[in-house]
Amino acid sequence: MKSLQQPFFSRMPRGRRDQRGNNERPQIQGLLGRAIVESFRKLDPRITVRNPVMFVVWCGTVVTLIATVSPELFGISPDAPGRGFNAELAAILVATLLFANLAEALAEGRGKAQADALRRTQARTQARRLLPDGGEALVDSSSLRKGDQVLVGSGELIPADGEVVDGVAAVDESAITGESAPVLKEAGSDVASSVTGGTLVVSDQLTIRITADPGQGFIDRMIALVEGAERTRTPNEIALTVLLAVLTQVFLIAVATLPPVAAYIGGPTPVVILVALLVALIPTTIGGLLSAIGIAGMDRVAQFNVIATSGRAVEACGDINTLVLDKTGTITLGNRLAEEFLPVGGHSEDDLAAVALGASGFDQTPEGKSIVRLAEKLGVSSRFEQAGASGLDFSARTRMSGTDLADGTELRKGAVDAIKGFVRSRGGQVPDGLDQAFEQVSRLGGTPLAVSQGAEIYGVIYLKDIIKPGMRERFDQLRRMGIRSVMLTGDNPITAGVIAREAGVDDFIAEATPEDKIAVIQAEQRLGKLVAMTGDGTNDAPALAQANVGVAMNSGTQAAKEAANMVDLDSDPTKLIDIVTIGKQLLITRGALTTFSIANDVAKYFAILPALFGGVGLGALNLMHLQSPHSAILSAMVFNALIIPALVPLALKGVKFRPDSAEQLLKRNLLVYGLGGLVVPFVGIKAIDLVINSLHLV
Amino acid sequence: MFLTKPFFWIPLLLAGGAVAASAPLRLFNPPLQTGALSVLLSVTVAISIYLFAVMVQPEKF
Repeated sequence: MKSLQQPFFSRMPRGRRDQRGNNERPQIQGLLGRAIVESFRKLDPRITVRNPVMFVVWCGTVVTLIATVSPELFGISPDAPGRGFNAELAAILVATLLFANLAEALAEGRGKAQADALRRTQARTQARRLLPDGGEALVDSSSLRKGDQVLVGSGELIPADGEVVDGVAAVDESAITGESAPVLKEAGSDVASSVTGGTLVVSDQLTIRITADPGQGFIDRMIALVEGAERTRTPNEIALTVLLAVLTQVFLIAVATLPPVAAYIGGPTPVVILVALLVALIPTTIGGLLSAIGIAGMDRVAQFNVIATSGRAVEACGDINTLVLDKTGTITLGNRLAEEFLPVGGHSEDDLAAVALGASGFDQTPEGKSIVRLAEKLGVSSRFEQAGASGLDFSARTRMSGTDLADGTELRKGAVDAIKGFVRSRGGQVPDGLDQAFEQVSRLGGTPLAVSQGAEIYGVIYLKDIIKPGMRERFDQLRRMGIRSVMLTGDNPITAGVIAREAGVDDFIAEATPEDKIAVIQAEQRLGKLVAMTGDGTNDAPALAQANVGVAMNSGTQAAKEAANMVDLDSDPTKLIDIVTIGKQLLITRGALTTFSIANDVAKYFAILPALFGGVGLGALNLMHLQSPHSAILSAMVFNALIIPALVPLALKGVKFRPDSAEQLLKRNLLVYGLGGLVVPFVGIKAIDLVINSLHLV
Repeated sequence: MFLTKPFFWIPLLLAGGAVAASAPLRLFNPPLQTGALSVLLSVTVAISIYLFAVMVQPEKF
């Protein structure tokens, strides 16, 4: 039992998975090699056709290759000196396609590396299945079906997803969470009874009821998701694809109408130059990086140990207006601890502690256990006969728990008004001083629990709530980003108000029931807002399904995980704030690179148009003083190709995110990526032109 | 069956389009330019049809 003494629930892994000291890094060796191979495979037109901008580049490449092999098809004499130039241009266009494919393949490869790491946790193992007669049979884990019960002892792998039906044990979940500190799993708890196949029992023994058939487990679904098997385009990505198609169509028509105009003014327009002009004009940079940005967004979420069911969910995070957060575990530390007994009605502290101890006899929650510890610390022992007694679990409806003794005595503890109602229903009176004690605890931001025996109230237990460090700063950040935070709590309005004020949340709902969660979400959605929330219990499932972004805790119930569109493997509700930041970063990255892509067209006009029409008076547009028309075209095309791999790290990592308002972010992005997109190509094309001429490549 | 594959009949349609376009273009252009212009025209029309398809049903791409 040595390992059980570790502080299981104090762990709270933070930050990216690959930056955790005790974590096995995903296998990324050979990632670049695989991506290079994949980028050649993606030259297949059946794959390229899914990306309109790059498919037009692909068509242009084919035309240029044909013009290299058979120039006479495009009105060029086979003996003309342009054949070598056509070949150079074709090579640059192929490189452009490969670089765009490489960006996507790298982003996909990182997801696949993570899937491989997950797959390694799925090693088949032997399981001890319980037989109806009470015996055991050693079976292969792949033969287990939903409903089977298995025994898993110390040092054994849990063979499949399941619920603990008996026992308490420490489980090492590092295979899926990256965090090696074991977590306590026990039967009967809503959030600690769920176990995942492939994790390791490190102490004691558990009896587990299997909840997933082979191939349907949590890790199976995670693998499908991170591999991108279920990736569909997000609404934002679809909208941007339409915009890029429209821009491409406009430039295609503009370029296609040039030959008659050029013929009229007397300038020759070789087809390959028209292809170069078209490729330079269409937004190839964002076209090449678009899918990589989306895939990398999902990967970034996965790096934070969150599995998103779709890119749509990650993207929706970027548009979130309202966060609905549970107080306990999210804003305050999960475990409220009993701090003090406040007796009322003439009872002594010892009397109150004894009744509280009796009422907590069956309470296995951290709060219940802390009440027992505080009573024992005061030297109070149980005064009630536990034989034949039964426990009453806490519920959101009754808002109380307790013990029914064999002699009919009812010991209760719970929300003050719930206990008042209970005592009155038994013909009792509410003692003087109860409301005073209630307010005293509430004003400290604590949770007051009234304690009664039969029809008599003995006093109040002060449960101390501790706000997590740094919460105020995080809510300030969210406010600057225009996100409203709403705290939901079962606490009374005074306690809720104190906690909300101290934590800095914008609004709170006190004495909330599970139905209130859905009501809050629906009210916000009726105002046209997108809502995110976290949850772990079965009663959270409807609200998780209703929210635009629902994040379930991995320690939560199966129903919660299935209703949500994201699962946090670390079971850290605070991470919702990180996820929203990643969603914002995804949208900002896409916007920034689109701005850059469209802005860097300008320099290409000044390179290619003078090259095409220099002979008919447009030579003055050669602001960069490029050496020759051919070197100007090659320089623009080389820049067009090289800018894609140059921006791959930015696309995969995301632009630096600052928690500012949308207006400030827009201004900053226009300045950095708009102005940068204008200036960088002028410098880049000129530099490439100098290199091309110094190497006599033209 | 390769006959049902779009990448079999698309080049055929392009070639057919180029041949069809070359007839009127030949009236106003020298032979070499006629070939180039007709290929350019048919490729432009084909890519435009594809791009309009993307605009109308982007989720399919």
